[in-house]
Amino acid sequence: MAFYVSRLSLGLELRRLGCKTMRCSGVDCRSSSSTSTTLAPRSLADDGKTDKLGRREKKNLMMSESVDKPDLNLRFKYPEMFPEPFMIWRNPVKEKLERKDMLARRNCISIPEFYVGSVLRVNLSNIHQPDKVSSFVGICIERKETGLRASITLRNVIDNLGVEIKLELYDPRLLKIEVLRLERRLDPHLRYLRDAPPEYSTFPLDMKPDINRSDEVPLNRIKVKLNPRPWTENWHKIEYKGIDESIDDLITNKWKARRELLRKPWEKYDLMKTYRATLPEEEMEEILTEIKDDVEEHDRKHSRRQS
Amino acid sequence: MRRLLVHQPPTVNCLWRETTMAALRTRVGCLLQGFFSSSKIPRSSFDIRFDGCVTQVRFKGGPATPRFRHPVWHVRKERAHYPENLTAENKEFIRETISQDFGPPIVAHGVKTYDSPLKNIEKIEPVQWFPGIRRTSTIAKKIGIQPLWLNDGTRVMTTLLQIVDNHVIKYNPPDQVIPLRRRHKVIPKKVLGKFGALIVGAESADPQEFTKNYCGLFRESGLPPKRKLARFLISPEAVLPSGTPLNAMHYRVGDYIDATGFTIQRGFQGVMKRWGFKGQPATHGQTKTHRRPGSIGGGAGHRVWPGKKMPGHMGGRHRTLRALKILRINTEYNVLYVTGQNIPGQINSYIYVHDSLSHHRWVKDAKDAWPLPTYIPTETEVPENLYASDVHPFDAPSITYEIVDTPVVRTGAKIAKAKGSKK
Repeated sequence: MAFYVSRLSLGLELRRLGCKTMRCSGVDCRSSSSTSTTLAPRSLADDGKTDKLGRREKKNLMMSESVDKPDLNLRFKYPEMFPEPFMIWRNPVKEKLERKDMLARRNCISIPEFYVGSVLRVNLSNIHQPDKVSSFVGICIERKETGLRASITLRNVIDNLGVEIKLELYDPRLLKIEVLRLERRLDPHLRYLRDAPPEYSTFPLDMKPDINRSDEVPLNRIKVKLNPRPWTENWHKIEYKGIDESIDDLITNKWKARRELLRKPWEKYDLMKTYRATLPEEEMEEILTEIKDDVEEHDRKHSRRQS
Repeated sequence: MRRLLVHQPPTVNCLWRETTMAALRTRVGCLLQGFFSSSKIPRSSFDIRFDGCVTQVRFKGGPATPRFRHPVWHVRKERAHYPENLTAENKEFIRETISQDFGPPIVAHGVKTYDSPLKNIEKIEPVQWFPGIRRTSTIAKKIGIQPLWLNDGTRVMTTLLQIVDNHVIKYNPPDQVIPLRRRHKVIPKKVLGKFGALIVGAESADPQEFTKNYCGLFRESGLPPKRKLARFLISPEAVLPSGTPLNAMHYRVGDYIDATGFTIQRGFQGVMKRWGFKGQPATHGQTKTHRRPGSIGGGAGHRVWPGKKMPGHMGGRHRTLRALKILRINTEYNVLYVTGQNIPGQINSYIYVHDSLSHHRWVKDAKDAWPLPTYIPTETEVPENLYASDVHPFDAPSITYEIVDTPVVRTGAKIAKAKGSKK
């Protein structure tokens, strides 16, 4: 999952380099309108930096090239379907079997589209509760691992106490996942909310779903002001887009100098690094064509059930 | 019959000799160099379970250090891949010859193999179970790790072992078996002459990959050369004819297995990683002593005892993990889902899967016996996924717990009071 998220952020730079990887085409795909009205995922909001003319050209090119190719946007919707691109751990038979199991589980419950930054309500069978069901509302601050091990972390502040739960998406004790607010954030994870004031991660437990039914998933550009040190992690070392610039007032001059030393601005041009951390586009398409029919059927089934 | 099948195309062989160059000629001509004849077999580390000893024995010697080992099979397997400059016609001719001998290349059960004409040559008869009978083991590939959930909601990590295209290649009766190379050169008498050796191969491969001597090992069975060979010691009653395929149905869900493999190579490691020592403090006046072992002895001995835990080479050892439960079987891809995520070996490495030898997991009754000598396919279709009774299938509805009304428990005082009032 970590690789996958890095893929999102690296997309723009790679496109500039003309490198043919998944990110590159992914960025182009975001702007292309979805083919079917209801079933295809809403395209992700672009960062507003891409050249409009170039985008339009690419779109036409793609449409003329491939009619049968699956919509590559789907990969944002089902990130755990794609294996970690670490060659030593990969085996095609295992991945196929795992995907089969995941689709079988998705047939039983609806695992909706959500991103890091979305607010979710989950219901979970819990033998220790009096009514045997526990429910939780929180913001998704992390989405980790792939395959059947895929997990999310939800965070909320209850009675002035930060509470986090880690859930496995394919755990059969999971009864329901409901998206209360569908949006994205600027960073691949929001662990820094642990060191931010509670208002950034406080959500009422009886929150009602507030979803804007448009084609695009809104991008929340909120900048989080952190508490003064000590922190759980060294947030100043990596440039998080979602952390406010006031972080500079919270660190010493020595830390600032150290941060400058640790920066690796050349990494975004390291093609080999990107290559190792990504799945080839053909493989992505293969997986998508494999899961597409099942996934569409599940969507149809669960949407009918909800309505 | 089988022999005929292999030798069958005499015309092809003639053509072969006439047409192609010397390199080609030497390759496919098969040689049987007395491979399985008893006198020439070197003692190999692959006679995995010669002694039935399960309890761990500790002695002064400590674990053997990994050292150079001779090739397991006495014929050389890999050949030098020099440039041969074959023409397209010659390549095509080789492909045709191979498919004539071994059938066309196919992908069966998720594994690349040849559609061998040897199918169900001899009918296998079921064998009556008796205490101490030992049937053949299989060669599997460790393909990955994934969680399964039990019916009560417990999460269990499982390892996926794919039984890759296993075939019986040869059987050596007990009097021809030479036991494995042992450190102390003492062979327990109780096992001598008791077990025969069944040679099993996994994953058919292109004969061009191997030397002609290695290919010759498979000539008698009529099978294509296998990537991996292993010798399993079995009771003579549980013998299987050569050419018999072995698949995941050799095992049953709920059974227990032992998995043997070569552990991951870690290289030269310190005492903390190799033996789990605690190390020493980071501060409080420590000088260059943070991950060191500390004292290694002293007192009356004035020596370092053999077997002392010290830094050294870690990994690359032959290790067995015992009594692993089979929670699920995929019959289409021949995959066993086995408890535990610490089965020795890297992903995509070979593992030997035996029936468990742990005392408390042993089959002790004829009614509990595994299929003997192996699973005999019937006409009834086997479902794709077989689950143990306590495993929650992924296509089943979510787990819910019932609300149980617990009865109010009377305290001792109240009971006494009630009793007293009766009186």
